[in-house]
Amino acid sequence: MSMETFLQIIASGILLGGIYALLSIGLNLIFGVIKIVNLAHGDFIMLSMYATFFLFTTFKINPYISTLIVFPLFVILGIIIFKLIIKPLLGKGETEVNTILATAGLGFVLQNAALMLWGSDFRAIETNLTGKSYEFAGIMLSAGRFWAFIVCLVVAGVLYYLLMYTSLGSKIRAVSQDSDAATLMGINVNMIYTLTFGVGIALVGIGGAIITPTFYVFPTVGLYFNTLAFIIVVLGGLGSFTGALVGGLIIGLIETFTGVVASAELAQVFSLLIFLVILFVKPEGIMGKGARV
Amino acid sequence: MKPKLSLIILAILSIVLLSVYFLPMPIYYKHVLILTLFYAYMGTAWNIMCGYAGRLSLGHAAFAAVGAYTTLILYRGLGLSPWLGMIAGGLLAVCIMMLIAYPCFRFGLKGPYFTLASIALMEIVQNLLTFMRSLTGGSLGLSLPYKPTNFALFQFDGKETYYLIILLFWAIAVFAVWKMERTRYYLEAIREDESAASALGISVNKNLIKAAVISAFLVAIGGAFYVQYFRYIDPYTIAGFGLSLNLALVTIIGGSGTIFGPTIGAVILIPLSEFLRLSAGTQLPGLHLFVYGVLLIMTIIYLPKGIASIPGIMNAKKIRKANIKNAAAGGSGVNE
Repeated sequence: MSMETFLQIIASGILLGGIYALLSIGLNLIFGVIKIVNLAHGDFIMLSMYATFFLFTTFKINPYISTLIVFPLFVILGIIIFKLIIKPLLGKGETEVNTILATAGLGFVLQNAALMLWGSDFRAIETNLTGKSYEFAGIMLSAGRFWAFIVCLVVAGVLYYLLMYTSLGSKIRAVSQDSDAATLMGINVNMIYTLTFGVGIALVGIGGAIITPTFYVFPTVGLYFNTLAFIIVVLGGLGSFTGALVGGLIIGLIETFTGVVASAELAQVFSLLIFLVILFVKPEGIMGKGARV
Repeated sequence: MKPKLSLIILAILSIVLLSVYFLPMPIYYKHVLILTLFYAYMGTAWNIMCGYAGRLSLGHAAFAAVGAYTTLILYRGLGLSPWLGMIAGGLLAVCIMMLIAYPCFRFGLKGPYFTLASIALMEIVQNLLTFMRSLTGGSLGLSLPYKPTNFALFQFDGKETYYLIILLFWAIAVFAVWKMERTRYYLEAIREDESAASALGISVNKNLIKAAVISAFLVAIGGAFYVQYFRYIDPYTIAGFGLSLNLALVTIIGGSGTIFGPTIGAVILIPLSEFLRLSAGTQLPGLHLFVYGVLLIMTIIYLPKGIASIPGIMNAKKIRKANIKNAAAGGSGVNE
């Protein structure tokens, strides 16, 4: 492998990793704070991709602009879903297993609603970035992925600021660390949960919107991203914010490398094996801290 | 439920289902019956590990795929009878289950972590099946070459024999669950409180692994039946999330951790979904799965122990009402 190919793979891997990280942050936030696994995660990405697709084909709205529309819509969607499905299951025993099953059911509902509404066709949009790439010192970067990566950095930065330096952020962190103690401190835990779920889903929405120019849109596209996002957050540490970023980069690099050297299927198998080993050996993830669950 | 009562119900159900076989009916209904029994059988197998022991696996399709592909590849490549291939597939599934179950239980993987590990296993199997094109046909799948009725080759014209076979499988699985009496109670104890169970001298890991292995073996046998009946498999249907979730669905809606829960779930869900598919399939292709999803969510929220728990709930209500009456009438109001 020449030096140039090597650098090319590294650069593509980092871009892909950044996008993967963006797709996982929402999942991670929800797990970190509410301690539930949202198995419908990928299907929210799918919904957002369809929303972006139709905003583009009907109103000619650029996918990067449509994040501004998708974000508030998905906050509302997230809050409704939380009130309808998640809230009734909290604090009733076997919450972990029940929420997994309920969100798996929700995934079925979303996928098949999409199938009924929009059919099983693969759809794609052509923006002014499609097929374009930038060149930096001999390395080619896909324009769509480059800008997606930039958005990921911006979103991660804003979220980090919100969590670390605002009063809402410290409330969220308090609930995440110990919800009982937070209640005693006068924090409205239910409100924090609702808000976190809404924002988590909205982050997924942004991720979906950003990748629409570079991926096909179809009803079961979420299944692929689902596995990926779970690998990334477990690798980085379920509930750890920086973990999602690191996990995304690692998986992006691994997939790009194995994809070039061997095949796409083996790349997936390789990531999944790493995922299993991490689950067994260090379930809190490489960046996570705290006790075993 | 009293242990003997379960056995009597099993006997009556088997006789009823056997006599259905002699009823004249359109071939499509026979197909629906076979499907229903297939899912009742698979749900029962899933239930052993996931219902009783409370380890939620959403990756059991991996074992169905191992059973199906082993049977088919051994038959196509070596001409081995599917009856033997099926056993080979079952044993291979047991090995894979050991490989994953041992570390899972050894490292105490529970709750969402266990479920994620089971999904990962399924995805690994799916990707490997897609990757090993020369052996498995890759994403195009493999088909079973047609042979006229031949018992040794597990191929029959008409649906009746398949119906009898899956009925037998189902009865054996239900009987096995009933027979696992002590293990079953151990598993329930483990599900409710692991440290208490182990303090009582129940070997937690040994019992969990036993349940996991039996469950994987039976599901692999079911996978073999699937390929003999449908004559075609591909990695996305037999090793996919849809099949895995279906097993969980019939069991949970029927009542997980009960002997007949999976059967109740299958008897309600499978005809319903076939009916929906037949009546609305062309205009609304995903309607039956959409309904599945809604039913699953509703069950989890309003009836987490499934349909099988309804008599218990009614009974509890009756007793409570009787107590209130007693109390009002000046009685002591003590529970019976």
